[in-house]
Amino acid sequence: MTGVYEMAEKSNIISVKNLSFSYNRKEALHDLNFNIAGGDFISILGPNGSGKSTLVNLISKVLKDYKGKIEIKGTDIRKLNSYDVAKMVAVVPQDNNPGFNFTVYEMIMMGRYPYVSRLGTEKKEDFDMVRAVMERTETYSFANRKYSELSGGEKQRVIIAQALAQNSPILLLDEPTSHLDINFQIEFMNLFLSLNKQGNRTVVGIFHDINLAIQSSRKIMLLKEGKIYNFGSTEEIISRENISSVFGSDVFVGKNPVTKKLYVSPVFSPAASGKVYGREIKKQLSIHVIGGGGAASPVINLLCGSGYKVSCGVVNTLDTDYNTAQMLGIPYVSEAPFSPISKESQNKNIEFIRSSEVVILPGVEFGNGNFLNLLSVKEALKLNKKVIIIDEKSIRRRDHTGGKAEKLYSSLLKGSAVVIKKYDHILSYL
Amino acid sequence: MERRARTLKYILVLLLILILSIVAAASIGAAKISLKDTGLILVSLIPGLNRFIDVSRLDSQDIVIISQIRLPRILLAIFVGIALASAGVIFQGLFRNPMADPFVIGVSSGAALGATIGLVFISGAGLLGISTTAVFALIGALTTTFLVYSIARTRGKVSVITLLLAGIALSAMLGSITYFIMIFKVSDMAKVVFWVMGGLTSASWSSFFIVAPLITVLVIISGFFMMDLNVISLGDERATQLGVQTDKIKKTMLVMASFTAAVAVSVSGIIGFVGLITPHILRLIVGPDHKILYPTSALAGGIVLLLSDTIARTILMPREIPVGIITSIIGVPFFLYLLVKSKRQIFKV
Repeated sequence: MTGVYEMAEKSNIISVKNLSFSYNRKEALHDLNFNIAGGDFISILGPNGSGKSTLVNLISKVLKDYKGKIEIKGTDIRKLNSYDVAKMVAVVPQDNNPGFNFTVYEMIMMGRYPYVSRLGTEKKEDFDMVRAVMERTETYSFANRKYSELSGGEKQRVIIAQALAQNSPILLLDEPTSHLDINFQIEFMNLFLSLNKQGNRTVVGIFHDINLAIQSSRKIMLLKEGKIYNFGSTEEIISRENISSVFGSDVFVGKNPVTKKLYVSPVFSPAASGKVYGREIKKQLSIHVIGGGGAASPVINLLCGSGYKVSCGVVNTLDTDYNTAQMLGIPYVSEAPFSPISKESQNKNIEFIRSSEVVILPGVEFGNGNFLNLLSVKEALKLNKKVIIIDEKSIRRRDHTGGKAEKLYSSLLKGSAVVIKKYDHILSYL
Repeated sequence: MERRARTLKYILVLLLILILSIVAAASIGAAKISLKDTGLILVSLIPGLNRFIDVSRLDSQDIVIISQIRLPRILLAIFVGIALASAGVIFQGLFRNPMADPFVIGVSSGAALGATIGLVFISGAGLLGISTTAVFALIGALTTTFLVYSIARTRGKVSVITLLLAGIALSAMLGSITYFIMIFKVSDMAKVVFWVMGGLTSASWSSFFIVAPLITVLVIISGFFMMDLNVISLGDERATQLGVQTDKIKKTMLVMASFTAAVAVSVSGIIGFVGLITPHILRLIVGPDHKILYPTSALAGGIVLLLSDTIARTILMPREIPVGIITSIIGVPFFLYLLVKSKRQIFKV
């Protein structure tokens, strides 16, 4: 079996050369060139209007008046009939609206269309195949129910079963799970993954959810304005720069600590309009945030998302706040894991404070190891910096130094610092 | 496997109803002929069986009435009904539209205008035993269909919406022209109205032998496209993904169904509701699978039109009323009753 797999792996199952396509003179795809190897799992990502669905429609021969060449298993699809293409390429669409109230069984049997002769009727192999895909997709139990009476998840299973009944080596997924709840999305991704791995089918998918695509795909194609922006292995393609440039919105890319797969999350940006609570944002402000134990992360995220120049310190390497600073690419001062803050690090931290206009102290837990951070805040007040203290949780419960931190903190509260109760109000105090 | 058994069951039941209807229809009329005699005469007319039946004791006038007057009309009614219902199934499937019937794309108005021209301006013996009116009606129906189709076709694709709109617009215009002609020739108005309302009064063996083979061939050829029609009802894009040569097959079926309806209309005039309602009723009974729906609807269409025509020619004896009136008066309430009773959405639009 592995031998077959490797052979398929070597040859290109889909080969696209100089492909361009226009809808009424408006160019949707421009000069695409790429190859897809047999057995691969590829996601096509791009914003709305980037040409993803057009590409799927071209490969499945729904759209015909294109320039260039599309080859499947080495054959130009222009030379193939619709039913020959349907034997090699099955599309799983987002939804399906039959004009009539067909039963589930009738719907799935339609997947055998390319195999049934016009003058004949379904043969044993057609019934066997439909039975097999119904078992695979767990649709057997409601085979005789009307399609229109099914739930969203059940309907999608029927659509997938219909495509699988085509028994094609290539599956094209056109946002097949975007109507569905997360549990179904996961269920169907697992199904596609197993079809790819055990069934040796080549899967090319458009997914609504970037993370869903990353979890499953070996390769990713980024489309932007009808052109291939980038195409390569998932690890290569998924970067903050690529995603931001293609989708036009800021994200950060991290690694899931459990699966070791990349994930992308949007940088929350309430201030995209340039105003918060009616106030203008002074984006040129530099802000230094005291970090530790993850207390600074939501604050840093909010400030970065609002476009401020943010720095952070002193944090231990591997600390949550350290990861956040790294992901967002902001300057930071760090200390070795589980080590107390050194004099040297503290000096660096104070340097940052010196060059900032505002210093923020979030609800960090204090022990002897990071007591110097609290001293740095005192220093900031001395330097006449604007200090904002986020006093969400009582210091008594955050003090692990036996009263030393509490004493200093209380004196800071009495000073010229601005004290607020919740971090999400912070933008209005800047 | 299961489907074949179901299809067979439905078709056998419908055939049985059809045969009983034929016997009943042949026995009813101005001249009263008993059911038993009617049965005997009918069997004796079947080639090969006549030597087993002795009809010499029966009234020879009855034999002539049945074999020369009633039977051609009965058979013509059945074939026209088959043509209208099967065209209706195809139009509804192609357009995924519950309002589609064989007349939506202008077959009826074209036929009416053609027939009016034939009735009003031309007097002649007609062609091959078919009346001039029928020939003109056929020409009118086909020309209109062709026009509507050409308007709706852009770059090899046929847009359903444009097709329906062009059909409605052109029908309105042709209708007005028909009325215009009628106003100038008031003397012929009754003839035209009677023709437009539909009827089989002109039925004869000669018209039957021209129309029936045409309808048979057209209906059977269309029958080979029923799996395509199932898949096409999922929408053009999905159908293409599943391997249907959508544009080509839609064009073929559109032409076939229009031609079938035009042939029927040329001999029967415009008989409404058979093509619209029969497929709906059958869909409620046999389901939406066109492989079952098509043959059963065709047979049911034959039965519906035969029964309607029998009522039309007997209910106000000796006067005849246009069969189109009967199909609407009886067909529509029955259809509405089924709709309410089933409380099912037969169409998802």
